[in-house]
Amino acid sequence: MRLLDLIRFTLLTLVRQRFRSFMLILSLALGVASTTLLVSLGEAAQSYVLGEFAFLGSDVLAIFPGRKTTTGAMPPVTGTAARDITLQDAVVLERSVPGVVGVAALVAGNAPVSFQSRERGGMVLGVSEDFFPIRRLTVGRGQVWQGIPLDVSAPVAVIGDTVRQELFGNRGALGEWIRVRNFRFRVVGILEGSADSFGSDLSEAVFIPVASAQQLFNVSGLFRLVVRVDERFDRDEMVRRIEAKMTELHDGELDVTVVNPDAMVASISDILRVMTLAVAGIAAISLLVAGVLVMNLTLISVQQRITEIGLMKAIGATSTQIRLLFVFEAALLGVGGIISGVLISALTLLAAARVVPELSWGLPWWALLAVSLVTLLTATVFAWRPAGKAAGLNPIAALGRG
Amino acid sequence: MRVADWLSWTRVALATDPLRSLLTASGIAIGICAVVLLTSIGEGIRDYLLNSFSQFGSRIVAITPGKTETGGIPSGLLSSVRPLSMDDVAALRRLPHVDVVIPVVQGTARIEAGRFARDTDVFGVGPNMDRAWNFAVSSGRGLPEESGHSRYLAVLGDKARHELFGQRNPLGSLVRIGGSRFRVIGVMEPKGQLLGLDLDDAVYIPADIALEMYNRTGLMEIDVIFRESSSSQAVGEAIRELLIARHGEEDFTLLTQEDMLSSLDRILNILKFSVGALGLIALLVGGVGVLTIMSMALSERIPEIGLLRALGASKGEILAMFLLESVLLSLLGGALGIALLALLAVFAHLLVPDMPLSIQPVYLLVGAGVSCAVGLIAGLSPALRAASLNPVDALRDE
Repeated sequence: MRLLDLIRFTLLTLVRQRFRSFMLILSLALGVASTTLLVSLGEAAQSYVLGEFAFLGSDVLAIFPGRKTTTGAMPPVTGTAARDITLQDAVVLERSVPGVVGVAALVAGNAPVSFQSRERGGMVLGVSEDFFPIRRLTVGRGQVWQGIPLDVSAPVAVIGDTVRQELFGNRGALGEWIRVRNFRFRVVGILEGSADSFGSDLSEAVFIPVASAQQLFNVSGLFRLVVRVDERFDRDEMVRRIEAKMTELHDGELDVTVVNPDAMVASISDILRVMTLAVAGIAAISLLVAGVLVMNLTLISVQQRITEIGLMKAIGATSTQIRLLFVFEAALLGVGGIISGVLISALTLLAAARVVPELSWGLPWWALLAVSLVTLLTATVFAWRPAGKAAGLNPIAALGRG
Repeated sequence: MRVADWLSWTRVALATDPLRSLLTASGIAIGICAVVLLTSIGEGIRDYLLNSFSQFGSRIVAITPGKTETGGIPSGLLSSVRPLSMDDVAALRRLPHVDVVIPVVQGTARIEAGRFARDTDVFGVGPNMDRAWNFAVSSGRGLPEESGHSRYLAVLGDKARHELFGQRNPLGSLVRIGGSRFRVIGVMEPKGQLLGLDLDDAVYIPADIALEMYNRTGLMEIDVIFRESSSSQAVGEAIRELLIARHGEEDFTLLTQEDMLSSLDRILNILKFSVGALGLIALLVGGVGVLTIMSMALSERIPEIGLLRALGASKGEILAMFLLESVLLSLLGGALGIALLALLAVFAHLLVPDMPLSIQPVYLLVGAGVSCAVGLIAGLSPALRAASLNPVDALRDE
């Protein structure tokens, strides 16, 4: 039997049993569509989360005060340790550790911010100049203060755009004096855009020099340090160097945690990938159910076509050819299921992209490949045994049944 | 036609081709099994999380400094120009219906005991912490009530004790925490983790000393535990009034245990149902299977139906017969699914005893109900077609 004959024969059978073929393709398509849709949903979520981290850049390390012996747990984000990271530490790190390009010190707190009669509570961040390029923040109007040493306080502030709107409305804010608690600051720059990350919207923040923030909140330590390192240096090596330097600065005691955001992002990405696969695996159960239906229908089909099989065998068809006939039929149905399933999910994704344009919707090729393979495999494996039953028929008995 | 006749008719119809019936039913079985199993896992996770939150008792109101207008970082961690002080704690203790007030400061420090040292969490808390957080002292005693400045006393978490002292008795010995000497007066029982925070791998010291040690002006949180005689709303209101009177404005945030649990519960319920919905896809495919098989059974049995109609069976009876068959088929699937589920549950229990799985009898009933419904819906279209057959045409079909 030639391949062309095989295809024509099978297509004829499928068309003659339109209803049955349609139902089978429908059930396979449901399985394919749900699996691929869930994978692409998971992928979209993953790329969204990774995008949230992208502001950190690939050349940044974070230093938290405090340390825990138990590894693998959360870094000590509370920023409260028996021994603070001081501004002097930051200065020394910048000057004496090779590979450190910039150090951004950070003091964070909440304080009321007011202009004339308007007041709002908000986040106040004490930062050094380097903070803005490291966090990829751009100043739209005015500019960041320059040339203020880390340990000198100065009455200047950069404000987020939301703060500007709330306090100044349509008036110009540059050069005005705002009040943060009982300290006065002159607005020298206004942040562009919203630049939000992890739910904390930096456009609602007020930025002042680190030393000023330490006075304002009456603290001596830093909430954390963000270090930019030369990209040519190995990241893990840099972590070790900074740890060694901090140990030296803190009387031989390592009491800070240096976090490599890359490693954190990688582990979060891994977790999301596993979850995506788990959810897709659950959806693939429906493919199993569709497979059972394939088996059932092939069995029925074999029963109904016993005479036909007997005739074919009588005129010289081999058992292998008969088996091929039935398995091929199932495989063709599988292909139909894959195509219509992918079409369904592509249409749904198009609709999703209309509704939620923020996420990047896409069908990853590996998922398509995997789902197609699994579907084809399911269809053929479940058709194999019933097809074997047909192949093993005795032609005389089969013809006699007709 | 009597009920017994109907049942035996259906039985014969199903038993004529047992393999076909079994395969059709197993489609439903896998679907039901997936739905119930996934919902059970969802329920198990929900139970687990709710329990780990409510293990601190349900009559807690937590106060954190700062009015959260922006969200993001929990405000207790940031420096604030409007701190919650130890004086606030003392004032809260005098409120009616208030049982225990626990100030909380959390940080990390190195703890040294003899040759051993460990970097771990330090909690600055108050007396009666054991009663407030349902967190029993296993040996020694908790932090005492003191007037004025507290003494340098420490209570160890279970894991911290094990790491620092091994099998030796730590009571009465001195440890260095963040450079100061503390006397160990008690050890807590193991409590476990909460959101990645290991309460056993920690030491507990008086909050005022922790404030000094960390050079902080304010507390991170105050937990107020009230008596059964009052409600969280009333106590929350009293706390709000007191603190506004003390601070001049509302510069703090109240969170009652009820608020927290109910919002958590809502999220977890959504999770549970969306996971269950994933299983529904499989059930849907199973339903398509029943529909297909019933339609094919119909086309094979057209002459039979013609004969029945010719003998006087009404349209309604034919409809009922087909529906009964598809419902029984689905119910069989449901039963198979539940058996499969029981098997899986036993295996899961043997292999992964910790797996949060909470199978409730009501799910089994729901599973049976759903399989019935699937059978009805899937059988409806073939049954209607069977009922609307013209008996003469049907008979001629032979």
